[in-house]
Amino acid sequence: MAKIISVHSFRGGTGKSNVTANLAVIIAKLGHRVAIVDTDIQSPGVHVLFQLDPKRARYTLNDYLWGLARIEQAAYDVTETVIADPDGSSARLFVVPSSVDSGAIGRILNEGYDVGLLNDGFQELIRDLRLDYLFIDTHPGVNEETLLSIAVSDVLLLVMRPDNQDFQGTAVTAELARRLNVKEMLMIVNKVPGGMDRQALREKVTQLYEAEVAGVLPFNEEIVNVASSAIFSNRYSEHPFTRGLLAIADRLKA
Amino acid sequence: MSHQTSGNELDALLNKMKSAVSPVRGILRELHEKFLPTLDGKVADYIPELAKADPRWFGISIVTRHGQFVEVGDFRQMFTIQSISKPFVFGLALEDHGRDDVMRRVGVEPTGEAFNAIVLDESSNRPFNPMVNSGAIATADLIKGRDFPERVSRMIAMFGRYCGRQVHLDNTVFMSERLTGHRNRAIGHLMLNFGMVGERIEDSLELYFQQCSIQVNCHDLAVMGATLANGGVNPITGERAIEARYVKDLLSVMLTCGMYDYAGEWAYRVGIPAKSGVGGGIVAVLPGVAGIGIFSPALDPKGNSVRGLKVCEELSTRFGLHAFESTPGAESLLAELQPSSR
Repeated sequence: MAKIISVHSFRGGTGKSNVTANLAVIIAKLGHRVAIVDTDIQSPGVHVLFQLDPKRARYTLNDYLWGLARIEQAAYDVTETVIADPDGSSARLFVVPSSVDSGAIGRILNEGYDVGLLNDGFQELIRDLRLDYLFIDTHPGVNEETLLSIAVSDVLLLVMRPDNQDFQGTAVTAELARRLNVKEMLMIVNKVPGGMDRQALREKVTQLYEAEVAGVLPFNEEIVNVASSAIFSNRYSEHPFTRGLLAIADRLKA
Repeated sequence: MSHQTSGNELDALLNKMKSAVSPVRGILRELHEKFLPTLDGKVADYIPELAKADPRWFGISIVTRHGQFVEVGDFRQMFTIQSISKPFVFGLALEDHGRDDVMRRVGVEPTGEAFNAIVLDESSNRPFNPMVNSGAIATADLIKGRDFPERVSRMIAMFGRYCGRQVHLDNTVFMSERLTGHRNRAIGHLMLNFGMVGERIEDSLELYFQQCSIQVNCHDLAVMGATLANGGVNPITGERAIEARYVKDLLSVMLTCGMYDYAGEWAYRVGIPAKSGVGGGIVAVLPGVAGIGIFSPALDPKGNSVRGLKVCEELSTRFGLHAFESTPGAESLLAELQPSSR
């Protein structure tokens, strides 16, 4: 049985896509078959981290939702881009991008689509690519894709920054997730400033959302150097941020 | 917006998401995929408008009495309700006149004759049941109203309550039906001859042609079925569409007479109250559980949707949905629709 992991944050800018991409790479490197679906149709982004040019990608998630392609046709194997020596390993990483064409984004927002198809697509992807893990990168805030992704997931990762707006917004998502009977909800606090008491923060978040905190990740300046165009944990393998992600990956495999 | 309203809207949205990921969706997709290549049967062509239907169209929808729904395929494609209107108009006639009066005008006896047979019960001159054309015309004649427009608007409003939206006629189909409805006119006049219908039979025939021309999709059919499954209250809107005490009247004639001259075998093999129409629709009711709507316009020689029959038969077998199943399975279907049990 594949594990479906949705990664969500109530507001933008939490580093959600970055966390998703790094976790997927870390888990794939352990020899697993992993895919990431970018359901952030309004503002796609995860493809950038894998140097995947969705303008050159023949099919995207949008084409699948319009019935123009099977979802596997929109899945791109990025294993060689992010894993140094994949030969002889069973590691595989696929990315299903959303279209960055403004017309395509406009059309899907305007016409909508049968949200059930998204779930059908996840199931087909798991079956046809023989996945061990499926990561779903969602749009910030609450919309249909997000709610569906939460409803279908085995684990929901809620990424937030340590500020009041995130604290309040995340409470909304946590409540919706409980009402959708999500199996497991884990919190990740990201971009935590150096001077902040991380243990106190962990306790506060645990208590506030009555959920396990899977990681408290430091704000890091080095990530700016990577500039959203590479996998951070690949380049800075000993960085505290990377070590935090490794611990979360361990928790996800449990 | 009141808190109550926004709460209900949020519930509806969360229900939609739960339905979209429920195991029943997987089962409906599997059935859709399995029977999609079935190209047996023929689209109704007694009027040119119906012949325009694409035989590849195929949709399945299930709506529970809690208002959750799961649907696959061409579930938004509109088509005319045709004979599926009959049990619902029968229900309105019961509300207008009560059981005894209605029974004096139309029986509840299954007939082995085709739906358009010009046959009345010889001893009573009544049509055999409200599901054959003669019986449906007799029930349409019973619909009350100050004048003809009011009778029509009461009938249309009733379908609106079942569907949970304003319904409209397909005018082209309506015009074709009334221009070519010689056989139905003959049935009407035969009943007039026996005094089973009154002088307003011409109006009643118009009403009948109109009720058959109402546009629905297979989601609507499932909501209509779910309304009957829910004791007469539309589970999406919360509005009552028919008095609770008459729901069983509709369901029992659907079970025994709903599938044209296949009704006996249907009750035996499938055992679910259902009604089909030559537009390609079938509505089926799992009392206390859900309504099922299926649309696929290719018909068998008896006038039932070929794929529709197959889907119902397989659902009935797989879940044990037959009314007289020793271990009823309808509840297990409902459980599969509730991901809270995950």
